[in-house]
Amino acid sequence: MVPALEAKNLAKSFGAFRALGGVDVTIGAGEVVALLGENGSGKSTLVKILSGYHEPEPGGELRLNGVGVPLPVPLNRAREVGLAFVYQDLGLAGDLQVVENLFVGHRATRGLGSAAPINWHAERKRARQIFEHYGVDLDPSAQVGRLRPTSQALLAIVRAAEELREYRQQNEERGGVLILDEPTVFLPEHEKVFLFDLVRRVTDVGPGVLFVSHDMSAVREIAHRAAVLRDGEKVGDVVVEDVSDADLIELVSGHRLDRAAIERATGQGSDTDVGVSGDVVLAAKDLRGGRVRGMTFAVHAGEILGIAGLLGSGGDDLPYVLFGDVAGSSGEVTVGDWSGDVSGLTPSKSIKLGVSLVPADRQQQGVVPDLQVSLNMLSLSLRSFMRGGFLRLDKLLATANERAVTYDVRPPDASLNLAALSGGNQQKVVLARWLERSPTVMLLHEPTQGVDVATRQQIYELMRTRAAEGAAILWVTTDFDELATMAHRILLCAGGRIAGAMGPPYSRDRITSEVYSTTARGAGEATVAA
Amino acid sequence: MSTDEPAQPAPPAPQTAPAKPRGVRSWASRIFSARTLEASLLPIAFVLLIAAFGHARPDTFFQWSNFTTIFGLNAVQLVLAMSLLVPLTNGDLDLSVAEISGLTSVLVAWLNVNHHWALGPSILAGLGCGLACGTLNGWIIVHFDVNPFIITLATGSIFSGIAFWLPNQLTVAGISTKLTDWTVIHHFLSIPVDFWYGVAIMLLMWYLLTFTAFGQRALFVGQSRQVARLSGFRVGSIRFSAFVLAGLIASISGIINDGVLGSATPGSGNLLLSVYAAVFLGMTTIQPGRFNAIGTGVAVFFLAVGVNGMNLLGAQTYVQSLFYGAILVVAVVASRLINRRRAASAARAAT
Repeated sequence: MVPALEAKNLAKSFGAFRALGGVDVTIGAGEVVALLGENGSGKSTLVKILSGYHEPEPGGELRLNGVGVPLPVPLNRAREVGLAFVYQDLGLAGDLQVVENLFVGHRATRGLGSAAPINWHAERKRARQIFEHYGVDLDPSAQVGRLRPTSQALLAIVRAAEELREYRQQNEERGGVLILDEPTVFLPEHEKVFLFDLVRRVTDVGPGVLFVSHDMSAVREIAHRAAVLRDGEKVGDVVVEDVSDADLIELVSGHRLDRAAIERATGQGSDTDVGVSGDVVLAAKDLRGGRVRGMTFAVHAGEILGIAGLLGSGGDDLPYVLFGDVAGSSGEVTVGDWSGDVSGLTPSKSIKLGVSLVPADRQQQGVVPDLQVSLNMLSLSLRSFMRGGFLRLDKLLATANERAVTYDVRPPDASLNLAALSGGNQQKVVLARWLERSPTVMLLHEPTQGVDVATRQQIYELMRTRAAEGAAILWVTTDFDELATMAHRILLCAGGRIAGAMGPPYSRDRITSEVYSTTARGAGEATVAA
Repeated sequence: MSTDEPAQPAPPAPQTAPAKPRGVRSWASRIFSARTLEASLLPIAFVLLIAAFGHARPDTFFQWSNFTTIFGLNAVQLVLAMSLLVPLTNGDLDLSVAEISGLTSVLVAWLNVNHHWALGPSILAGLGCGLACGTLNGWIIVHFDVNPFIITLATGSIFSGIAFWLPNQLTVAGISTKLTDWTVIHHFLSIPVDFWYGVAIMLLMWYLLTFTAFGQRALFVGQSRQVARLSGFRVGSIRFSAFVLAGLIASISGIINDGVLGSATPGSGNLLLSVYAAVFLGMTTIQPGRFNAIGTGVAVFFLAVGVNGMNLLGAQTYVQSLFYGAILVVAVVASRLINRRRAASAARAAT
């Protein structure tokens, strides 16, 4: 039998960084292969090579259904070579109907074909047949945005499976690979079974599946084999039935588990395990909002509290909820002398209370690339540059130039547009903006994302200094090396809750294995509860 | 695992090339830089335009009286163009300003003539009308978070409807001559005073946009609502106040229009296109790439001189439509090209 997908020696470097170091993957017909690995292990790079987004280095080889595919994979032609992708964001148009989303691929016509009439009655009927075939309960006329997240995920998978079915019709009913990139992270635990059923139905007729996930219980449920990546290398290719969760976590983290310790650490969440001192500057009680579903914790003056969790664990929403930027949040929050419900906070109020937020999405939320460095850096302190009713742009620029030197922003010319700076230097501008306010609380979300190594160290130093001056710092990141370096204390986050705490000594490997263990345990409990 | 032969030696330690600080640019290179050239295109075109008309019609065009006419008659456009600056900087289109101006004209005239109100209270009512119209726009757009383009198109139609309704679709003539005295009859430095009103408002907008925290915050709102929000700016109230301000300034232009014409005719103004042309044309000069008051002022009179010269050459009135439309297209495309070129040079600098 010809494998559905056979990749050999796929490699990719970004500058000096080797993201993927010559990896082989094989997926048999009807086989589900899980692709495991922590953030930065090369999973996304591999998927992006398959989608044609990245060009792999010469020497790689990709065969689909026995047929060689040119590399890089021709963009937008994945369907023709037998690949179908479902990403975590699903790629659905929420304002349109189910049937319109389902057949969107048929609309990519040219010329007069675009003016051909669409028989909506027949299309809906066809959609109903398709849903019946896959055992999915969806109404073709429903508006996609109003469906439950699980139904939306099912629709996206059915759409991809249909693309593969069409491919197989043209290829003697052979081949086809469905690539699912983290499809379960945002789904409720007890509804994931629908998704597993659907994936089984898809593989029953022949296509293979590459299942990219952090979710150990999901992997165990549907994957036959697991390929584990670590630092761009494949460190394991195991039959899932033959290994335990602990084995998989060991492979992912590269850390030999002290299993008893893991049991203890994940036994019961309590953040008083590790000794802390200083006044409480930031506290939250049963905080909810976004994917945060009831978190209680406290951060002390001078403390850097690390939040470790996988994608969708709720940690990534926490800074924004605390900053008062997530509508519908609830829970009691204490910031310095202020105390009250988090719904009473807005970004402007938080800033007045001395809170800073460094968002992960720098381009969208952190900076305005088309404005000068000076304005970006001092946007929160404009008032202090008013002299006799005039905003003194010269003083603003002079101060910004000084700060640019202080924070080693290169080039140190604050009159440039921010877009002229590299990512690391842009981030320094963001930090300079907040440090100008001498914040007592700093909420950091992936603060060194897209930042070069040298700048990273500078940012660490700035934050250590700020903490030493008495600020409370909440540090949310999936870069566990960074957490190990920076955090005084680490809380483990899973399913929107604080699921445990870790004491030192910290290392990336230990954090990774504890996070995975906690998440797997949380998923197990939730399934039982449902 | 793969049998990948290690083709390359171990990669060198990650390096971060220190960016070269820019050398101090000489004055000469500053003057002849692309940026300066870009900024002076409109003034150069302006001078050429005046020279060309002066050459073609030296007897009529090059008269001081012709220039005072241009200055006096175009204060309405100047003021109305100013009303657009803050909403546009915020990234919001306001298509109702010309109708607010028209409604205010009619309202002031109607109160003064038909209802025998004194001029002062009529003018105050007119300003109040502008504030109310702007408040309505701002409230609907911000409170319901709806598209300003379509809402101001709709409210503009409402304002226009009221302007027709008030005087029963008739022209209201016989406004107190005091208003005319204080717009086009009295001169200051040999130029009708309404021109100076326009200049005052232009300077005020320049101050507001360039020298206040309000103006700088508007820049952020226009560039990225998310960044502005997370910087603690009250995005909603900034946008709201911009619409209110736009309504107020638009009503001032309506009152000046009453003074210039001595009467008010509902639906007479076809001002919207010309003021948009001016604002986008203004974006290509003084502070290229930004909506700016001085550039807009220059552009208003560039357009006015163009129309005036064509009239003196005997062009038909429809030529105005062609001229305004063509200029708006050219201005929008030019400002887009300026911004794109900037982005490209910024991207080059970043690498």
